[in-house]
Amino acid sequence: MSADPYSHLVRELFANPQHAGTVAGGVSVLVEDQGVRVELSASADSGRIAAMRFRVWGCPHLIAAAERACVTHEGGPIAALEIFQRDRIMEDLTVPAEKTGRILVLEDAIQSLGRDLKSLK
Amino acid sequence: MREAMIYLDFAASTPVDERVLDRMREVAGMNCANPSSTHAAGREAQAIIARAAGQLGALLGVAPGTLVWTSGATESDNLAIAGGARHRAHRGKHLVSMKTEHKAVTDVFEMLAKEGFEVSWVEPDASGLLDPHAFAAALRDDTQLASIMFVNNETGVIQDIEALGTICRERDILFHVDGAQAVGKLPVDLGVLPVDLLSLTGHKFYGPKGIGALYIADRPGCHVEPILFGGGQQRRIRPGTLPTDLVAGLGMAADVASARMESDLRHLRERRRELWDGIRDIEGITLNGDPDGFPGILNVSVEDVEGESLLLALEPVCVATGSACNSKNQEPSYVLRAIGRSDAQAQSAIRFSVGRSTTTEEVLFAADRYRNAVARLRDLAPEVAA
Repeated sequence: MSADPYSHLVRELFANPQHAGTVAGGVSVLVEDQGVRVELSASADSGRIAAMRFRVWGCPHLIAAAERACVTHEGGPIAALEIFQRDRIMEDLTVPAEKTGRILVLEDAIQSLGRDLKSLK
Repeated sequence: MREAMIYLDFAASTPVDERVLDRMREVAGMNCANPSSTHAAGREAQAIIARAAGQLGALLGVAPGTLVWTSGATESDNLAIAGGARHRAHRGKHLVSMKTEHKAVTDVFEMLAKEGFEVSWVEPDASGLLDPHAFAAALRDDTQLASIMFVNNETGVIQDIEALGTICRERDILFHVDGAQAVGKLPVDLGVLPVDLLSLTGHKFYGPKGIGALYIADRPGCHVEPILFGGGQQRRIRPGTLPTDLVAGLGMAADVASARMESDLRHLRERRRELWDGIRDIEGITLNGDPDGFPGILNVSVEDVEGESLLLALEPVCVATGSACNSKNQEPSYVLRAIGRSDAQAQSAIRFSVGRSTTTEEVLFAADRYRNAVARLRDLAPEVAA
């Protein structure tokens, strides 16, 4: 039997993305590259991310990674977005190396969102 | 609770029929001899193989002696194309095939090109059908072999084998047909069709895996050089000890297919119609292939949906993508690209293939799951900038 390409966590996040959508009135960024599209939106309050949502056209790993990023960063400091690195999320979701380019697109979108939120202050 | 799996991938492989299993158990239990042995047990094994050849010959309308047992369609394709081309190399080195063929065919031609053969690839139309006039135009005085598949494994398109074969016969060109998706599912009468070489495999029509055959027409100039060496079995065309139980299973599968071909086709047409009716009104959906193609296959693409996510969202429905999509290979289907589909269309393609045991409930469930998956993934995607 060939190995399941998706971990249990990826399947869970893909099947039940609680953060899919758009934050109305929030800041949003759209990055399109590597054959995928990632849109992130967020609102901020007192230097922290009040709400964060995503929209993705891409593979299950990318959708799961976007959901994971929203779960991780919502309620946290805006500054964390700017220094986001893909390594941890790729490890947590067991993203295959050949999909690194797609996760880089997410990384770009997250860092870009951080810069835009910071500039609002 | 985990949902029950729904298998709609019969074009990839079929379950082994109960009668086939029974025959294989019977043969495996009663005879362990090498069919090449001349003692009584060996002769009994030979008789079992001869009976299976008779059953398969009856399905195809040919004499049992025209059949060579192989390990499956890939080996049959390799033997037919490489063996046929090499046998005729002294007469010419031009070969003709189509880009929508299975890799077991195209890769052999690529290998022969490295040996000094010249290969011309003919283009099908947007539905995947090959125009016999376009085929004829690609043939030359030095063309020695052409290979065109009967039923396309991705789209279900059925080629006009009679017209293409007639063109080859008129010019004394060896005509090979990959019949893996046709034999046992559609009437294939090689007593009538002008085919020189035909590949088939057991597991596509409810027989066992690991056994197939190559039909070699009994006519002058129709021969193949072996690609395996090591014994004199099967007229030295394909040496190796035959797996008596698998051969017997394939023979029984042919028997069963002969008996129920018409009812099977009616059943497949009904299930395919129910499935297509359940999804045809989805915005941006495209049928890949000919609407009058093989009724066991329905291949569709849909706009604005990513194929790998669609495949996962369809679970527990087991289908195939047009893109052989997995984490290691995300190339869009070369077959769908060859019939003019865009990368995005080819990447979102799903091949549903129904079989004998497929129920109305299963296809309605699959249609519903497909509709929901498309809607969910479209909701999830960012809007495309105008």
